[in-house]
Amino acid sequence: MGRTDSLAKLALAYGVHLARRRLTRPRSQLEELLETYAPDGIRALKPAERELHPQLVGCINCGLCALAAGRIGKTRLPDLASSYMRLYARLRAASSDIVGDEADLEAAAAACPVGVPLTEVAAIVRRMTVG
Amino acid sequence: MTGAGVARDLSLRGLSVLLLEKGDWGAGTTGGSSWMIHGGPRYLEFDWDTTRLSTQDAGYIVSIARNLVYRVVFIIPVLPHDRNNIERMETAMEVYDRFQPLKKAHPHRRLTAEEALEAEPGLTRELIGAVTMEEWGVDPYRLVYANVEDAVAHGARALNHTRVIDLVRDAGKVIGVRYRGSDGAISEARARVVVNATGPWSPQTSGLAGLNVQLRPAKGIHIVYPHRISNFSISAESVDGRDLLMVSHAGFTLLGTTDDDFYGDLDSVDVLEDEVDYLLQAFERVFPSIRDYRPVRTTTGVRPTLFKWRRYEDELSRRFEVIDHASEGVEGFVTIAGGKLSMYRLMAEQTSDAVCRKLGHQAPCTTATTPLPGNESEMEPASELARRCAIPVLAAVKLQSRHGSRAEKVLDGGRAGRLVCRCEPMTEAELAYSAHHEQVRSLADAFRRVGLAAGPCAGAACVLRAAEVIGAELGWSASQRFEAAREFVRGAWLGRAPVMGQTGWAQEELAQGAMRGLFN
Repeated sequence: MGRTDSLAKLALAYGVHLARRRLTRPRSQLEELLETYAPDGIRALKPAERELHPQLVGCINCGLCALAAGRIGKTRLPDLASSYMRLYARLRAASSDIVGDEADLEAAAAACPVGVPLTEVAAIVRRMTVG
Repeated sequence: MTGAGVARDLSLRGLSVLLLEKGDWGAGTTGGSSWMIHGGPRYLEFDWDTTRLSTQDAGYIVSIARNLVYRVVFIIPVLPHDRNNIERMETAMEVYDRFQPLKKAHPHRRLTAEEALEAEPGLTRELIGAVTMEEWGVDPYRLVYANVEDAVAHGARALNHTRVIDLVRDAGKVIGVRYRGSDGAISEARARVVVNATGPWSPQTSGLAGLNVQLRPAKGIHIVYPHRISNFSISAESVDGRDLLMVSHAGFTLLGTTDDDFYGDLDSVDVLEDEVDYLLQAFERVFPSIRDYRPVRTTTGVRPTLFKWRRYEDELSRRFEVIDHASEGVEGFVTIAGGKLSMYRLMAEQTSDAVCRKLGHQAPCTTATTPLPGNESEMEPASELARRCAIPVLAAVKLQSRHGSRAEKVLDGGRAGRLVCRCEPMTEAELAYSAHHEQVRSLADAFRRVGLAAGPCAGAACVLRAAEVIGAELGWSASQRFEAAREFVRGAWLGRAPVMGQTGWAQEELAQGAMRGLFN
């Protein structure tokens, strides 16, 4: 009985939906979507960053980059590159973490055993921390 | 989860409660879930009332556990030849929108193919449109522990790593339990009512009283990626037409789940490589680069689904049932069976109502409105907490997500600034606090309580140091600390092995080098 009732109500809703689609002009809802969820940090990456994304999040936190950049034990890039990239939706609050951080990212990237493009990671993290 | 909810509910009603957990808090079905408090749009096909109840209760949980929840927004792509066309999908979402305000969620949006690709560039170019749907993500381990903590704060006793081995009976009446504690000692506790909230283990537990509670246990697995893979969460259709989800949580992604009848040993549920391939096959169709990402582990759990003959697993109801066994001649024994994480509070309320009726105790349920620990007041900005305690803001954000407004209290130990886990990131002070105040007795317990080794390194960079910190709190010797680390690495391997073929071996070799000796 419950299932029959549910399917009947869905069928009615489907009819109403189709009628509404015929009578109204569709409008773009993308803007609303992005505005609604911007405070939640959703939709932070751009298409170009998406292409690189598997490498951007490839860090295995071995620590070699921080050693190479002379920043081992500090709490900024690249020591926490992995944390920043994996939590990219929550970076807006964290801008003060990387203010004035001038690590030798090229040396750090050269030492990375899994090829994380640390310069790009740093650029994305900086972009996202400022909103 | 439900047991913790019942303990909290009854202790808030002023009753004396003992809560026993055979493993660690949330280590069973709860931890193997999709980490979501959702309303269940799937149930619209079967029973709108389940959707309403589930959505309403999700709203209560969102209100009482604000620090533990976050919005999870799905893009549901529609591809050519999908079972449901875009109009049907949008109809379902329009109906679901009627329930969404109950859990403080936004209505759906409809996107063209181009718009969907702009929002989520990782989607396949073959899609013909998409709709969105909002749910809530939750840390289920912390949700369980918050309930335990609040129960204890209201007078309950709660013991993890304590297994019930028998029921104490007197002339057909259940009058208590016999249990083995974490130290191996066997004890007995008497109670006027015993609640069996053991999830898929319910048939075994009720069997101790000679009762037959019949479930249809269903196994589900997830693949875990230690980072956010997509901007939005994404749904996909499996080769056999099931709905699967790629859920973007705060710092990781869960891809799942399967749903198969399970007949094996509930204490030893393995993930098969075939199950991993089944999930990847489905998501490769909608998110082509999925195989370029390196999973870090798998999880598995067994749902305590109510029994029904002649139904596919997916079609089984997620409803629950409170069973007072007095009608079967066994007084003093109540079982809560079925249900799901999103309805845990309601399940606990109705179970507690049954207990109170048996006891003639009149006190209203207050769990829908009483905040869980850490939600009693507004949280201060994470940057302020970070500045005062000299920790990275990101560490403060994570700390608050676990402890809410009590975060600063966790850092009182004096070791606030030192990070033990850089993936998370997590401080030594929080780890020490979890050992001292949150019943952490092993590194696996710390994984559940504070996310130790939950990140990309899977413990390679932190497990030995973590054993030192916890060992110092619990008085472990050097060899005990080493053994604790080894036990964790061995246990974690069981969840890692099924996804090793997915670009993980290079990391594994590095990790084994870093942790030389722990694998022997």
